[in-house]
This record gives sequence, C-alpha cells and structure tokens, in this order.
Amino acid sequence: MTLKSLLLVSGVLLTGTAASAGGYQVTLAGQKNNGMGGVGVGLSLDQAAMFYNPGALAMVKDRGVQVGVNATMARQAFRSQYGGPQRELKSNIVTPFNLYAGFGSEDRKFAAGIAIYTPFGNKVEYADGWEGRYSLTGIDLKSIYVQPTVSYAVTDKLSVGAGMVILAYGAVNLQKDIPVEGAAGAQPAHVELDGKATTKIGFNAGIYFKPTEKLSIGASYRSKIDAKVEGGDVKFTNVPASLGSRFTATEFDATLPLPATTSLGIGFMPNENLTLGFDVNYVEWSKYKILQFDFRGNNGAGGLVSPSGQVGGSNISTSRREYKDAVTLRLGGQYLLTSGLTVRAGGSYDFSPVEDGFVTPETPDADRIGLTLGASYKFGSFGVDISGQFIDLKKRTQTEADLVANNTADRVAGTYKTRVLIPGIGLNYTF
Amino acid sequence: MYTLLKRTAPVLALLGLGLAGCQPELEAPGADKGSADFSRYIAVGNSLTAGFGDNGLYLEGQLASYPNLLAEQFKTVGGGDFAQPLFNQPNQENGSGYLRLTGFTATGNPITAAVANNLAVRATTPQALYTRYDAPVNNLGVPGIKLSDIHTAGYGSVAGNPYFERITPASNPLQTYFQRVKAEAATATFFTCWLGNNDVLGYATAGGALGPAAITRTDTFQLKANRIINVLTANGAKGVVATIPNVTNVPFFTTVRVAAIKATFKASNPALSLYIQTSSGVREATDADLLTLTSSAAIGTTTPGNPFPVGAGLSATSANPLPSQFVLDAAEQTLVRDATTAYNTALTAKATEKGLAVFDANAFFSRIAATGIVSDAVNNTAAFISGNLFSLDGVHPTPRGYAVIANEMISAINAKYGSSLAQVNPNNYRGVRFP
Repeated sequence: MTLKSLLLVSGVLLTGTAASAGGYQVTLAGQKNNGMGGVGVGLSLDQAAMFYNPGALAMVKDRGVQVGVNATMARQAFRSQYGGPQRELKSNIVTPFNLYAGFGSEDRKFAAGIAIYTPFGNKVEYADGWEGRYSLTGIDLKSIYVQPTVSYAVTDKLSVGAGMVILAYGAVNLQKDIPVEGAAGAQPAHVELDGKATTKIGFNAGIYFKPTEKLSIGASYRSKIDAKVEGGDVKFTNVPASLGSRFTATEFDATLPLPATTSLGIGFMPNENLTLGFDVNYVEWSKYKILQFDFRGNNGAGGLVSPSGQVGGSNISTSRREYKDAVTLRLGGQYLLTSGLTVRAGGSYDFSPVEDGFVTPETPDADRIGLTLGASYKFGSFGVDISGQFIDLKKRTQTEADLVANNTADRVAGTYKTRVLIPGIGLNYTF
Repeated sequence: MYTLLKRTAPVLALLGLGLAGCQPELEAPGADKGSADFSRYIAVGNSLTAGFGDNGLYLEGQLASYPNLLAEQFKTVGGGDFAQPLFNQPNQENGSGYLRLTGFTATGNPITAAVANNLAVRATTPQALYTRYDAPVNNLGVPGIKLSDIHTAGYGSVAGNPYFERITPASNPLQTYFQRVKAEAATATFFTCWLGNNDVLGYATAGGALGPAAITRTDTFQLKANRIINVLTANGAKGVVATIPNVTNVPFFTTVRVAAIKATFKASNPALSLYIQTSSGVREATDADLLTLTSSAAIGTTTPGNPFPVGAGLSATSANPLPSQFVLDAAEQTLVRDATTAYNTALTAKATEKGLAVFDANAFFSRIAATGIVSDAVNNTAAFISGNLFSLDGVHPTPRGYAVIANEMISAINAKYGSSLAQVNPNNYRGVRFP
C-alpha cells in the first residue's frame, strides 16, 4: 500500500532543488547512491543503474520497482558589498524524486526498464527587498526526464546498455523587480517570466565490466538536451503607467542547455559485505555561454504606437554565463551489517562550473563538499532506503568592480554562503 | 515498520538538529574610524550639500543629502547626531517647492509640473523667505552660495540668500557665511567642504549670456578657498575637500542636442538649420555647442513678425537665432572648463597642504558621464530622466545620485584616514519617480 500511494504522490510532487550538485544539476537519482556520496557508475546496486550507468542494469541481481524522494533544504547567508543586514532565503523545501521499474529475461541476458528522474532543477526564493532584487527575486526551474532503457549482458562479466532520454517536462519561472521608481510608497515594479519547455529527446549509454568478484568498472554518458521555451508568458506588475511603452512584451523565448555528462566509476568488493565505489563525473557546462531571452507581443500598455515586445525598452535580454566544464569526485561505500540492515557513508567534492565574478543569484554556486549517510532495511521483498546529505558550499565573494570588469554587472555584489541538507527516503520491491 | 521508525528516529532527530545548525552566518564587516574623529561632523557647501534636487529644496531631498548619508555611516564609528535645517514642520515638507514628472509627450519628451502645496514659504515679497530654523545645525549647505559670497555681510539677512537667512541667528543678521563656519568649526572634529560650484555654474546655465564677469576670478577663488579651509582646520579637524565637476557633463547641457534639432528642422525643409546668437554674432550651430535643457521650450516656437521659428533659419538670412541664454557655445565652454580647472588646482593644493582627503568630483562625474555607475544590477548613468542619478532640473542629483556621491566620499575618507566605513546601498535611494 505504501508503495502505491507514494507512487501516486510522487506524480504531483514538485521537482527541482537549490542545486544539490554544481550549476543547476541535481544528482539525487538513487536513494542508495545518495547515501554513498552519489557513486554508482561502477556499481550495480539496483534499478537506479538506469541513471548512473545503463550498462550495469543487466548485472543488477534483482528485478524490481523502486521510488525515492528527497527533501532539499537550502539555507543561505548573503551580505551585500554595501553592508546592511544578512539576507537569508525564504525556507523552501523542494522534492526531487526518482522512480524506476526494471525487468529482465529469465536467462539474465537482457534487462529493460523505465526511469523517471529529475536531473536538473533549481529553486531559490530570496527575501523581500534583498539587494539583488533587480537581478532576481526568485527562480523555479524544473525538469523531469523519462528514460526507457535496455541493457544486455554480453558475457557474465561485461554488459552494455542504453536509454532514450526524454525531457518530458520542463518549466521555468523567473521573477525580478524592475529598477524604476513609481509613486512614493508604491509596490516595486516586477516582471515574471513563466514558460514550459518543449519535449526533447537525447540518450544515455553505458558499459559495465566486472572482471572479478572484487572489482567492477563502468563508464556512462548522458547527452545534452537544450531545454527550449517558446512563447512563455511575460507578466508585469506595478510598472508606472507613464513607462508602459517600454514594457509591452507578452511572450518570451529562451533556451537553457542541460549539459552532457560523462562518468567513470570503479567498484571494490573486498568481501561480500563491503562495497566501495569511486566515481568521476565530467559535465560539459561550457555549453552554457549566455542566457538569452527574446521578447515579443504587445500588451497595449503603451498605446498602439508603442514598439512591441519591450522589456525595459529592449526586446532582447542577454546575460553572460560562460560556465566552464566541471568535475565531481565521489567516494562512498556500504556495509551489510545484518542480513536486513545495510549502512552507507560517502562524500563528494564538486568543482563549480561558475567562474569568479560570474556568480548569479539564481545559481549562487561555489565548490562544494558533500557528506552523506544512508541505511537500508529489507523485509523480504520490500526494502526501505534512507539517506541524508549535508552539502557545504564554499564562501564566495564578488565585488561590483569584478562584475563590471567581467561585463556581468547584471548581478549582485556581495558574499554568498550556502549549505544544503537533503534527507531522502526510498521504497523498493524486488522480484 | 514500527521497528524501522524506532531505528530511524535518532537519525531523523539528528537531521532536525542538523537543519537547525545548517543556516550559515556571515559576520558583518567591522567598521573602524581609523585616525579620524567623527564625533562632531559639519558639512560646508551649497545646494549639493543641502540636498537640493528637482529644482527645489524639500524634505525628501534633505533627508537624502550626502552629509546626512555620511553622518549615518559615521555613527557606526562614534559619530554624533547630525542636525539639518529640515523643512519638517507639519504641512511644510515641500519646502521651496520642486518639479515633478507628470508624463511624457507623444514624442517622448518629459512633462514636468511644479509642486506648489505644503510649502515652507513665510513671505513672498520682496523675495521668498522660508520658515526659519533656529535650532543648531550641522549641515551648513546653502543653495546658491558661491565661494565669492562667503565674506558678504548681510548674505543671511532678509535681503540676502533666503536659505542662509533661515539659519542665520535673528540677533545677528549680518553674520557672514565665513563667520558662521568659523563659529561651527570651533567645536567640529570632522568636516566636508564642497564649495565653488556656483562660481561657474551660474554663468554656464545662463548660456554665458551674463558675460565672463559672472565667473569668479581665480585669484579671488583661491584666496577664499584657502581662508575657509584654514578656518575649518584651525582646531585640528580632519575632513574632505571636494573638487568642482565640469558642469558641461550634466544632463542640463547634454539632453538637447544640436544634431537632433537640426535633423528635426531639416526633416521639414532641407534648407533649414539651427542658428545661435553668440558673443561674436549669429552663426550656424555645430555639434560642439551645448544647448540648455530650457532651450527645448524655446526652440521652434514662433515669434511675431519673423518668418522663422526660434532657432530655425536659412544661412542667407540666419534670421531668428536661438538667444544666447540657451546656448553654451564652444568659446563659452572653454571659459567654463578653464575656470573649473583653475578652481580645482586651488582646492586640491590647499587640501594637500592641510593633509585632507580629496573627493575628486570632477573626475567622478566625468567617469559617470562616460561609463555610468552600476549598483547591484542597476545601471545608473548621466542620462536625463532615465539615468537615475540626475533630478528633473538636469543639474542636481537625485537621492540615488547623492548616495553614489556619499560612497565616493567614503572611499576617499577610508583611503586617507585608514577608516573602514561601510558604503551606503545606492539602490535604497530613489532615482526619478515616474507617474
């Protein structure tokens, strides 16, 4: 019963997070993996292999269904270059989820499955009146990937697999205040961009090799998908009437790259109770050069003669991102304590794709250290996995002079410090 | 399931604890006064120091005056109360009255209107006088004062400058500005001095029509600058001396452009051009000539008995030129620039001699005019109306403009005196209000 109701619930849960990995990537795809520093490419733990390494799916011992959900709780402190109080985020909890169902042939040569997970997402909501309000007051970026997957065991030591990665759902909501002054005491002028991404298809593939009982290695790749919003809504509020002709847009187009990831992983099984994993992820963030919005439409606020598609007197908005490719290192292990109970621990170090002077309020990124704990308990065919992650982002400062020098003055000068706590729970049923 | 709950309860409890301890804390940067003593700060200057803007002095502008903003930051390192002669009596907050924006014409030109209610005017004849402020003041900014006025007896009388009159002791109406500063400086520990703008500004905004005599002579300027800085530092007070910005960078001279006017005329008749009255006769305007903000109301209007609208003319006749008061021609600009340079040389030399901090307002405003200044994703420029920094009179800053000035002064103070005062956030202060 629990499984069924959770499945139903997960369908309506919001995805996205205040980024649990570099940039707006979310690596919370498997509840067992979450407890082990996010390793999984060189292992064949459970159905989440479809995400981590589809090549390993055929080597997963059991077939089954599993679902997991995480509660991402980000806490941030920001201090403006210009002094003033410490600013903190509004307390949001976002819930990235994952769902897998895998089946195999009798002879264990073939396996197939479907995965639903949330590889990218980002939700940040700043306190009212914070210093960066003209850059961002809030963002909610969501993506759901659906991935039919097949895997084939070439030999009992080598298996390969691939999946069709479908961006089934993508949405963005981005809001900020507009730096124009209305009457004394008037609410700040505000713009909201809200749109859904068109469905896009990519792929992932992996290979898994287990030469001995004590060693396994794997490699996987997930392709880039450009999430594209066409005809998203532009909504203005509290814009002074006399400036209507400069704020006439009703629609926007934008593209956000969801970058390709290449991963390598190694697993060690020194004895039958202990499993250790080490993963390296390489994310091609350098595809994210600029964030551009194109505006069109005419809401008539400026009368018939006013130009169409204006946001602040312009029908295009570009902002430099200039991300660089980034590496994440992961180390984790699990130990079978009793026949039912497995405990896990791990850690990760995530190099930020965001260069100095390019930090934006929507992704206040920095190098991050992650520490994780986890446990599973099995009751026959049922299993429960719990995990907890603590992620500490390095303190990061940029001055107005840095921003001006980088032509990135559309963001805010000051110091960010962020920590994220992510408890998660998963249920699985194997057969 | 119960067993599971029992086993995970401690973990969940730990998570709860972790969450409580998760919120990072960033320590507020410390503030230190360095070698300066901000316990009693006085501000000496003109309209810029008083917080004048939108062609008037009113409560909102006074509260956003750069001395008031500085005093707020000084308080974090032992600064005392800072009294200003506010127009804070009930229903007098609009002070002298000011301009507000009411909208735009079809061609995008701003329309302004005078705010004439809730004024602090106590007499209108023979000249306007404002509600007196007899309590002690730290802000001695007097709109309109020139450095050449500081020794003028009666400058604070009912026949003098009404802004100085309202703070001059009724018992001593002949007290000069210099005498007042001397009395205040006796107990001051820190000062800002930004005088001299009006010694050249009046000539410039009148399009040079008043003649070169309207520019204070450099030797007079230097003498008076030396005397006032001497008296300010006589008791060992430290402070900041600000230079004079070249006024030709302000929107009052950069908004109405010769090229644009010519294009408008030529659109109706290619033979027409813009003609101006200069001290050496009538000639066609060039891009080097600056038109005043007020010229837009005169250019193109008709005058009785003349075939051409004002400013428009043919080279054969050059009839009906734009009067001199609306044009700062290239020769007049040279006079303004030379005087500004000479004044700044005098001010900087004296400040250096006394070991004072210097706020180079001329360099700062030139930079603003060239590149603008960014504050937390907001691009502030020297553009009229849209630039956020200049008020509706095109000469005086908005509260945002005063905030960036305060920040530059803080930088100069920190650099000179080894203090670590925080800057103010310019975005907390408004630009132009739009209806």
